[in-house]
Amino acid sequence: MAERGATRRVRVIAWRDFRYTVLTKGFLIGAIILPGIMFAAIPLLPLLIDSKTAPLTGRVAVIDPSNSIAKAFEITLRKNPAQTIDLEEDATNTSTTDVALTVESVPDPSRVEELLLQLRDSSLQALIIISSNADGPSTELLIPSEASPRHTTILEKSLREAVTRVRVSKANEDYERITKLLARPKIDTRRVSPDGSESNEIAQLRMLVPAGFMFLLWMAVITSGNYLLTSTIEEKSSRVMEVLLSAVSPIELLCGKLVGQAGVAGVMLLMYGGVGLAGLGAVAMLDVVPLPHLLWLVVWFPLAYFTVAAIMVSLGSAVSDLREAQSLIGPAMILLTVPLILWLPIVENPNGTLATVCSFIPPAAPFVMILRLTGANEAVPLVQALLAMFVSAATVVAILWVGARVFRVGVLMQGKPPSPIELLRWIRAR
Amino acid sequence: MSNIVIQLANVNKRFGVLHAVRDVSFEIQRGQVCGFLGPNGAGKSTTIRMVMSILLPDSGVITVLGGSALDAKDRIGYLPEERGLYRKMRVADFLRFMAKLKGISRADADSRIRSWLERVELPNVSQKRCEELSKGMQQKLQFIGAVLHEPPLLILDEPFSGLDPVNRRLLSSVVRQLKENGTTILFSTHQMEQAEDLCDQILLIHKGEKVLDETMSQIHSRFDPRTILAQPANSIDTATQALKVVAGIESMRWSLEQKSFEIRLLAGVDPQRAMVDIMRATPLRRVELQRATLDDVFVKLVGGSVTKFEATSATEQVKVNHG
Repeated sequence: MAERGATRRVRVIAWRDFRYTVLTKGFLIGAIILPGIMFAAIPLLPLLIDSKTAPLTGRVAVIDPSNSIAKAFEITLRKNPAQTIDLEEDATNTSTTDVALTVESVPDPSRVEELLLQLRDSSLQALIIISSNADGPSTELLIPSEASPRHTTILEKSLREAVTRVRVSKANEDYERITKLLARPKIDTRRVSPDGSESNEIAQLRMLVPAGFMFLLWMAVITSGNYLLTSTIEEKSSRVMEVLLSAVSPIELLCGKLVGQAGVAGVMLLMYGGVGLAGLGAVAMLDVVPLPHLLWLVVWFPLAYFTVAAIMVSLGSAVSDLREAQSLIGPAMILLTVPLILWLPIVENPNGTLATVCSFIPPAAPFVMILRLTGANEAVPLVQALLAMFVSAATVVAILWVGARVFRVGVLMQGKPPSPIELLRWIRAR
Repeated sequence: MSNIVIQLANVNKRFGVLHAVRDVSFEIQRGQVCGFLGPNGAGKSTTIRMVMSILLPDSGVITVLGGSALDAKDRIGYLPEERGLYRKMRVADFLRFMAKLKGISRADADSRIRSWLERVELPNVSQKRCEELSKGMQQKLQFIGAVLHEPPLLILDEPFSGLDPVNRRLLSSVVRQLKENGTTILFSTHQMEQAEDLCDQILLIHKGEKVLDETMSQIHSRFDPRTILAQPANSIDTATQALKVVAGIESMRWSLEQKSFEIRLLAGVDPQRAMVDIMRATPLRRVELQRATLDDVFVKLVGGSVTKFEATSATEQVKVNHG
């Protein structure tokens, strides 16, 4: 059966928009090559994580009239930095740093100027000054301006442990015994699924999963929305718009562009989402993304896309250049950034007042809902999910209706951008 | 089947306070070439955009190929006034895209593209990007986009502007061939010679109002200036004295530009008879009855503040001026 004229025209416009967006260098690099590189880098991740940082070598001078801190500091430095109490919970401990420092105890405080000169020319890695005042002993750590943050952390934490060691010793206690008593017990937490299978619990990762879903959706939708905005402005400024309108109606053109860029957003979603899933698969943690979460993504993607796309395309049709578009797009972008700003409180309390209210505020609603629905700690009431879906769908219809009317008039307009009153006139024009 | 391809009835269009098109009505018959003339800002492009359903009229009815242009876009070819191409697209891809929009299969489109590129003397450009072509070449490319699907109705907005004389002639001959093949053509232009050469019908619009809607022969008969050009063989003074006695002359003046007398005749005087009388009165190198050009008609109708009433009684207006 022959394809109907309108369907054919929408398909041809959509394919051209899709093809000439996906085949641009920017898109190939951003949406295909970059995730490809990320995907290829997944097997290398453990190697990268295990790589060592630069060794911490050289001299450290400790001005300590009592000489006790200097000795304790020397002992602490001999330990693996990863084994110090303070560093136990530090994520950066996954990489190791070799420490080979010579600790020089300086009992004479008058040598401070001489040592500071050495510090400034980097012949000294650190200068520690221990002094006493009415409030008790105070400790200063001076480091060269170019010292690495990682090395500074090691010095700080080792010094902190050294001071603690001296305090414990002064109290006639055995430091090693106390540290063993205070060592944090390791808790092996596992989630047990309804089928009885168990999986390791990593609470932080579970908090990040909804954010990952939301960022993925946001990135795909906003990126394709921007392509839609710029391509519409380009078609207006290159005067190709009237050529197109000689062959298609404004509504066919609008539909074609929306469908074409939906494909672009879909490709981005698949590429980045695929890399994310592959990454989780590589570390055997695919269970943090159950199938219902992916289904929710499929449900909310079109609602999020068409809301943003209709705003972008109507703005693109109303203005003559990108600068004008950026000034008009401000209010919509503020609402769209709400889920980016509030993702943490929403994920922590997905059924709280903030999350519930934001679920019904377009155009942020789809992003907020994906945050709530993919969070693991509380189930969102189904009625709220359905209501939010209805609100978002109604918003899509309303924005598309307004967008189509603005598009119909705006595409042939040149010159200064319309005032709000003119925009209203365009919307009401027959 | 109706022979009327385009019909406008009492069409109006306003842009804010500007009344761009005022109560315009006209018809274009099948197979006709209609020149759409008017000064800049007269409302030609707005009218054409309404015919194409790119703009909607505020009031009035527009029928194109028996219905709305929206339903007949595949059967209309349109070259807009403002040229536009996808700059980064290759020539063949752009034309293929336009062909697909008009419902032509890829294989058919490719053979038509090859043929048309040769016909408008654009060989070896199919793999070039549109932005690499000169302005004139881009215009020809866009013209191909308008005719590729062999539409029965072709609407061309200023098709010859910006073209050099060689390409103007080339495009003009293509338009003539399309006319011979039965295509109905509406084209706006400021090139009066081209319009006179190609058109069966002339529509003149001024300040949004139609001021002329006639066939070329009607225009020639209605805008007969009744002026004889006579170049004397002897001195001007001698010839002036001799011509004073010829009957039926209303006025006479020497034209330095034409190096001839411009002799205006009284109403009702037979120009053929007057020419014989003038030749008898004085020896002449040349004598001819001046014919109104479209250029003259255009200047006459839009040069001053012409109203619809004045246009419909244009013949009388000429008489009054000469009286």
